Amino acid sequence: MTDIAQPDRCIVCTTCTVMCPVAKNCLDFLGPRMIGPAHQRFRLLGMGEDESLHYCSNCKNCDISCPCDVPVSTFIMRARAEASREKPPKFRDWILAHGELLACWLRFIPAVFKNFGMGFAPVRLLLHALGIARQAPLPAFAAQTFRRKFKSLSQPQNLPRQVVLFPGCFVDIYEPESGLDIVAVLNRAGYEAITPEGFVCCGLPLVANGFWQNARQNARRNLEELARWTDRGLPVLTACPSCALMFGKDYAEYFPDLLPRNLSPVLVDVCEFLTGCMERGELSAPDVAPGAATTGDDHILYHAPCHLRALGAGLPGLELLRLIPGLRAEYADSGCCGISGSYGFKKDKYAIGMRVGSALFSAMRQSDAKLCASECGTCRVQMRHGGGKQTLHPVSILRRWLDGK
Amino acid sequence: MRAFRVVVIGGGATGIGILRDLSMRGVTAVLLEQGGLAYGTSSRFHGLLHSGARYAVSDVEAARECIEENAVLRRIGRHCVEKSEGLFVLTAEDDEAYVRPWLEACAEAGITTEAVAPDEARRLEPALSPEIRQVFRVPDGGIDGFRLVWHNAMSARRHGGQVRTCHKVTGIESANGRVTAVEVCDTLKKETYRLACEYVVNAAGPWSGEIARMAGQTVDITPDRGTLLAFNHRFTSHIVNRLHESADGDIFVPHGSITILGTTSARAKNPADTTPAPEEVLRLLSLGEPLFPAVREYRILRAFAGNRPLYTPPDHDAGRSASRNFVIVDHEKDGLAGFVSIFGGKLTTYRLMAEKMTDLVCGRLGVATPCRTAEVPLAEQPSEEMLARAARRLPAHRTQLVAERLGDQFADIVGGLEKSGGSDLLCECELVTRAEVELAAGDEATHFLHDIRFRTRLGMGTCQGSYCSLRAMGALTEIGAPFAADAQAALRLFLQERWRGLRPVMWGAQVQEIELGRAIYGSTLNLNGGDDETD
Repeated sequence: MTDIAQPDRCIVCTTCTVMCPVAKNCLDFLGPRMIGPAHQRFRLLGMGEDESLHYCSNCKNCDISCPCDVPVSTFIMRARAEASREKPPKFRDWILAHGELLACWLRFIPAVFKNFGMGFAPVRLLLHALGIARQAPLPAFAAQTFRRKFKSLSQPQNLPRQVVLFPGCFVDIYEPESGLDIVAVLNRAGYEAITPEGFVCCGLPLVANGFWQNARQNARRNLEELARWTDRGLPVLTACPSCALMFGKDYAEYFPDLLPRNLSPVLVDVCEFLTGCMERGELSAPDVAPGAATTGDDHILYHAPCHLRALGAGLPGLELLRLIPGLRAEYADSGCCGISGSYGFKKDKYAIGMRVGSALFSAMRQSDAKLCASECGTCRVQMRHGGGKQTLHPVSILRRWLDGK
Repeated sequence: MRAFRVVVIGGGATGIGILRDLSMRGVTAVLLEQGGLAYGTSSRFHGLLHSGARYAVSDVEAARECIEENAVLRRIGRHCVEKSEGLFVLTAEDDEAYVRPWLEACAEAGITTEAVAPDEARRLEPALSPEIRQVFRVPDGGIDGFRLVWHNAMSARRHGGQVRTCHKVTGIESANGRVTAVEVCDTLKKETYRLACEYVVNAAGPWSGEIARMAGQTVDITPDRGTLLAFNHRFTSHIVNRLHESADGDIFVPHGSITILGTTSARAKNPADTTPAPEEVLRLLSLGEPLFPAVREYRILRAFAGNRPLYTPPDHDAGRSASRNFVIVDHEKDGLAGFVSIFGGKLTTYRLMAEKMTDLVCGRLGVATPCRTAEVPLAEQPSEEMLARAARRLPAHRTQLVAERLGDQFADIVGGLEKSGGSDLLCECELVTRAEVELAAGDEATHFLHDIRFRTRLGMGTCQGSYCSLRAMGALTEIGAPFAADAQAALRLFLQERWRGLRPVMWGAQVQEIELGRAIYGSTLNLNGGDDETD
């Protein structure tokens, strides 16, 4: 880490601290301005880190709100990486950062046992002792990963076009049905989906938990794999805004030396891609009469994940939902849900996460909508947990509509 | 009835060093300063603890003094000295022929030099120009002028010395060719009184000509103005000098959280002429580019200027060619016994200057106690136990910072924190706690927010006082600090001084910062006191 970013763009307006959901809900956190650009001046002096560094959830509302384009969260994540070199992260953080590896190790244990274990009180107590909150809504393992299901999936023959799909760990391990929904809709638009084996976890959970070098290795592999597909002119789609942010923005800020000069490492948001398909006439808007969906309701409450907003490319999931005739998609506009990947699962962060999400939860409860939507997998987990309503990926809702189920 | 045998005039490093030395030798002494401690030249320099390498070729004697005093200050002033090393860099624009005589002169003066491969230098300091040709390491260091003066003052007080700030000397009385008293005005109370004494030491720096005139004497000094820039962050962790004959804009000094680039040299209109101009800033930037090509991209916090009290005998020039040596004038030869002046020199040699002056005064007063200022530390190192106690009240990384700032008052602040708290930050840019501000406010030499700034660095960071000055005024009003009685006036005075250094650098991120500050005070807080929106 020789190219330490310099803090000169910050004008100390403290907007980031005002907009930080953690600072608002945890008085012990000094806030993004202090831990980010302000402390950067002292890092260059060799001063140690503030104890409250670990409270940052890496939700990136600081980056979103900064009027001067200061890479606030990058300062903080780099600092966490440095701090982790001196004091290795807890075993708990290792577990939460390495979901992909864990799933791989546990793959021969049938999901039913895994999930029984995860829901089994003594196991939860053990995890609690390790630092994973007993009350936290840990997602259940799927019986088969998305990648395995995809292998045995037969897509329609003679589809005229191809796209690459980067499913993201959450869809792969916990929610393969969302991935299958995406493939089905892509097929319907005339695209054959390719899910390469070469992609690995984007690395965002690794960075957030202090495993910088592991994240770097993943970035290197992913960038090589990405170049292989973009060289062939194929767009690479993802259903996860955090993966898209990691590829599209964070790689350049974290590992600038890994970026090939001509490659802009963009993952295309699947909702944005499908909106394009509709506009090009590749996918016709469903003409199913309102009320025909299984949900029995035509009202959807949509939550925009923080990392989607941090990408600064609009709200394609909401736009997609609004293209569906007869569906009323309402924007919750209630800030962060509080989960921030693995943050809200942690024993010392669970309560903070729930306070952060409380505005969204009450919006969900007050809304008439029976069904909610969000692109981010862990947002959906937290919304079901805190808001008590079924929450799906926007493309899953589109598929139901298309199928007329 | 004389309360003091000696009156020292001037609250800069030299004067306060003399006060400490006199007090340690048991001579009763008082220091009079028209403004506050370190208001003048001692706070208006680059913060370089010279190794002497800069003067080796032109003045080997000055260089030798520097390297000796450099070692002394590292020993006695650990709280004030930053042990960064110095690099002398031959840039593409410098003459290679200078290197050999420079190396020989350094060796003669006793300054160790060590060649560093340019690639290695660039690894140490990645921001350095790729076109550098030769690099040498020297024992330069950083020194905090504000802190040095305050720690000297605290040490002098412990030995019985007295410091009176906001005390302007208005006359020097004599009888039968001998000084008898000083007439001084307490500018806050607006009271003038006499201080009878045996000796008067004129250590008023660029003002020493005016003091001498009050005694009917003249001294050959010219205030020589040097302008400097403070940058928002450390882009170098070494002090970086150009390897050439001393010139303008050729030293970069990392200093705490900032970097300073200096200096210029031009005759000052008067001793108080310290307002920098934008042209000087632009010139310094272009002079700094051969060392750090990206220097224009770094954000400038402010520009500031100080006046060197250069010794200029009638047949000599001022400016760069003037000697950096110090001069002691005993005015007895000109018909006034008991009046001595000291000027010239550098901050690095302040202690030696004080020793020589005190030797002279003590000799005349018949005091034979030897000087001990080179052995006795300015402040004790904090004990492990005290640091551990502080770490329970302050974030761990900040205890060392606070310990170094406060010196011997560290124990007081730890006690205060344990009793009544105050670990909340008032100045977030420079990490200054409420407890530190309150402690500094209670000092008898503190009369303005500036004095607190010098002790703590309050208001010296990125926002240049926009946030902390208001918070500090709030805290000071709560504890009833006398100078906070008219909070609005105190605040305006402080901000105006901050803005004086901001005006010459109004571009880039800094102009956004200034606009934010102006909006906060001019609009939201209506500091200028408009009655309605149309005012």
